[in-house]
Amino acid sequence: MNPSLPSKLNMKTPFGSPDFFQAFSDKRSWEPGWMADFRKDSWNRFAALPQTKIKDEKWRFSPRARFGYSNCDQLTDSPKSTTLEGKSSEQVIFESFDQAILDHPNLLSILPSLTGPKLGSDATFLLGSSFSESGFIFKAKKNYKEEEPFICKHFAPKQNHSLFQQNIVIVEPFAEVTLIEYFDSEDQSSTGVLSNLSHIQLGEGAKLNRVVVQRLNSHSTFNHLEKVELGRNAQFTNVSLQLGSAQTRVESRGDIIGDAGEFNNYSLSLGRNNQLFDQRTIQHHIAPHGKSNLLFKNALLDNSKAIFSGLIKVDPAAQHTDSFQTNRNLLLSKKAEADSLPGLEILANEVKCSHGATTSKIDEQELFYLQSRGISKSIAEKLIVLGFFEDIIGQVSNVDLVESLRDEVSQFFNT
Amino acid sequence: MIKPSNIEIDREKGNFHYPTSKYAFDAGVGLSEDVVKYISGVKNEQDWILDFRLKAHSIFEKKPMPTHWASRDLENIDFDVIRYYLAQGQQPSRTWDEVPDDIKKTFERLGIPEQERKFLAGVEAQFDSEAAYSRMKEDLEKEGVIFVGSTEGLRDYPEIFKKWFGKVIPTSDNKFSALNSAVFSGGSFIYVPPGVKLAQPLQAYFRINAENFGQFERTLIIADEGSEITYMEGCTAPKFETSTLHSAVVELVALKGAKIQYITVQNWSNNVFNLVTKRAMAEEEAEVRWIDCNIGSRLTMKYPGVILKGRKARGEVLSIALANDGQHQDTGAKMVHAASETTSNVIAKSVSIGQGRSSYRGLVQIPGHLEHCKNNTECDALLINSDSQTDTYPAIAIQGNENSVQHEASVSKVSAEQIFYMQQRGLNQAEAMSLYVNGFVNDLIREFPMEYSVELKRLIDLEMEGSVG
Repeated sequence: MNPSLPSKLNMKTPFGSPDFFQAFSDKRSWEPGWMADFRKDSWNRFAALPQTKIKDEKWRFSPRARFGYSNCDQLTDSPKSTTLEGKSSEQVIFESFDQAILDHPNLLSILPSLTGPKLGSDATFLLGSSFSESGFIFKAKKNYKEEEPFICKHFAPKQNHSLFQQNIVIVEPFAEVTLIEYFDSEDQSSTGVLSNLSHIQLGEGAKLNRVVVQRLNSHSTFNHLEKVELGRNAQFTNVSLQLGSAQTRVESRGDIIGDAGEFNNYSLSLGRNNQLFDQRTIQHHIAPHGKSNLLFKNALLDNSKAIFSGLIKVDPAAQHTDSFQTNRNLLLSKKAEADSLPGLEILANEVKCSHGATTSKIDEQELFYLQSRGISKSIAEKLIVLGFFEDIIGQVSNVDLVESLRDEVSQFFNT
Repeated sequence: MIKPSNIEIDREKGNFHYPTSKYAFDAGVGLSEDVVKYISGVKNEQDWILDFRLKAHSIFEKKPMPTHWASRDLENIDFDVIRYYLAQGQQPSRTWDEVPDDIKKTFERLGIPEQERKFLAGVEAQFDSEAAYSRMKEDLEKEGVIFVGSTEGLRDYPEIFKKWFGKVIPTSDNKFSALNSAVFSGGSFIYVPPGVKLAQPLQAYFRINAENFGQFERTLIIADEGSEITYMEGCTAPKFETSTLHSAVVELVALKGAKIQYITVQNWSNNVFNLVTKRAMAEEEAEVRWIDCNIGSRLTMKYPGVILKGRKARGEVLSIALANDGQHQDTGAKMVHAASETTSNVIAKSVSIGQGRSSYRGLVQIPGHLEHCKNNTECDALLINSDSQTDTYPAIAIQGNENSVQHEASVSKVSAEQIFYMQQRGLNQAEAMSLYVNGFVNDLIREFPMEYSVELKRLIDLEMEGSVG
């Protein structure tokens, strides 16, 4: 390994080696020059990342080593990494990353200007920018409205492989669409790292409903980085189900750039064994009259652990902001752990902002009530957890989808 | 619409100082091993204390500033221009008449002897590095209550104080606890024997008089089994051109069934860096309450904590912070649950005025092997002006399915509707604002002793004067 590399974190991955990057670049020599430059620049920035500090607030409570790439020695070459389903029309572009490089290079040319969520995973962001070979590009043109959801299925790579994905979602003014993303593993036993970068931009009055269902196998690592930018009167609603993986790091940023943008972020995590859910979020109000609402619920069995670190940031110009952030943790075993870091930074005074965080166990009375009706304890617990998650799943407006999401959670208890 | 502006805090009460050129002991400017040895020498300390100080000094030198999470304003502290020890060679006087004239003038102007006569069981008044006056009611002395300064405490009662000194807050806890451990002087060492319940509070009064002076008092309170004590401290300093540093370490030990109530009204002038480490240890069924009011200083960083070490111990922090122009009140609470059935409660209210900034930082920790632990945290922030700022950064680490915590924080502004309602009833706008802010902090102010709560209400009224244009 090259001894001149500055960061300990980089040292642990072959992706930091100049030879590795060169070989990768040679393989991608068919790409346009600006893309090659972008990869080169990202990789140089990765190699120049400073020594990782031991005490980094963005990684507080996190067993950071679990998110490294030390177990990976190559990039996956599976053609199956993303599949797309959805009505094609002139009003919409929905293509895989590689296809879009050929068909819509202008859409991808914004990549060098994108910054990601900036919530701690700089290394993953830069590696993703250097090595992404899959992902998807979605663009809904102005005034396009479609109720039928667009679906993207992402697949985590094989044993010792890493997969980096770039997704760009652009919803033009007054378009209204639904996007569902599934994250699955190719098989049930292999360890692999799936790192997913999403850039979502909503124009004036645009509306995007997005659902994420993550059910990777219990050995995988999942890095999920996203940044959402909302224009004037734009509305974004996200509902995430984090069910699988050995460890998941979510970094989600919602920037309200236009007047009266509305950002809603709902997420549930259901953990068992040694599962780790490390979630970092920010609701950043830059423009006035914005609304944001965030609700993250974690139910934790066995030795599982969840970290929630959220920040509501209200800039001085963002007067008349309504912003809420809630984290609820349900601990179902003695060894389960929930760490909450709910934060507020408020620089405007005409605002309504609050956050709440609670951590507790199942209410004995609720359990007793169900048991006294002849329901076994384990089923009663399952019902209570399903009930606990209902206000996340209930945010999805499509009735069929709601039913299938309930099944996803319910399924978890049957396996 | 209300247009509040320029709320002035009444810090004038403490804004005077008497030039004192005749300090008999002066450790000079800047910090070095020699300064540490000088302080120890002046105090004629035993070797173990000098060793403790020197070790602390080397830890202080090694520790970085905590700017990876704290305010960058810390970088403006210049440790090389601070004077670390200044005293007139005063021994704490037992009667008011013996106090040197210039010091007496200071405290009389602040109303100390008056307060003592009124309702206190004992008073200590610290002027720069050393106590100038210390007296306690005789009957308490007969019961075995000890109320002395840090030097006397370690010299005259080592069997009581040495055991706990530096144990609740280790020297290496943070950079400023290390600094304090190296150069500490003054403060109160208090021991309350088993079963003794003090009906009236003990009080200490801290005063910085000299420019560029750093005050590093050290307080250790031990409440033996079943005893009860209330301790109050007040702080003021004159407004100098340059900033000063106040960095105290306060350790409380509540043994089985003991109750300690620690009340602070901090009204330093707004060029004082107030970086204080306060922590209590509560044994079985003991109760510790920190009641904290921060009005003054340029930057306060203070997170009173309770380590709930014994079963059924209870910890509480009630905190009020007012941040005006040029001020940053970075306060909070730490609750470390280390035994089952322990409970803790944190209620923090802050008001940011003008360009003031108030922050809440908290820590609640409950490991999984414990059962039936509970924490409740509430933080409410009120923003008065459009350029006021407030932040909340709690950290809650919970394991196990037998504990419960809840945390809630809200940020709001003065409600125009409520102000309008009060104006309709004949109050002018300034009175309405005053009433509103008083109402916001009222449930906490009630927890302060009567004399203090009256004073605090008056302070808030004064601040709100001229707050509306």
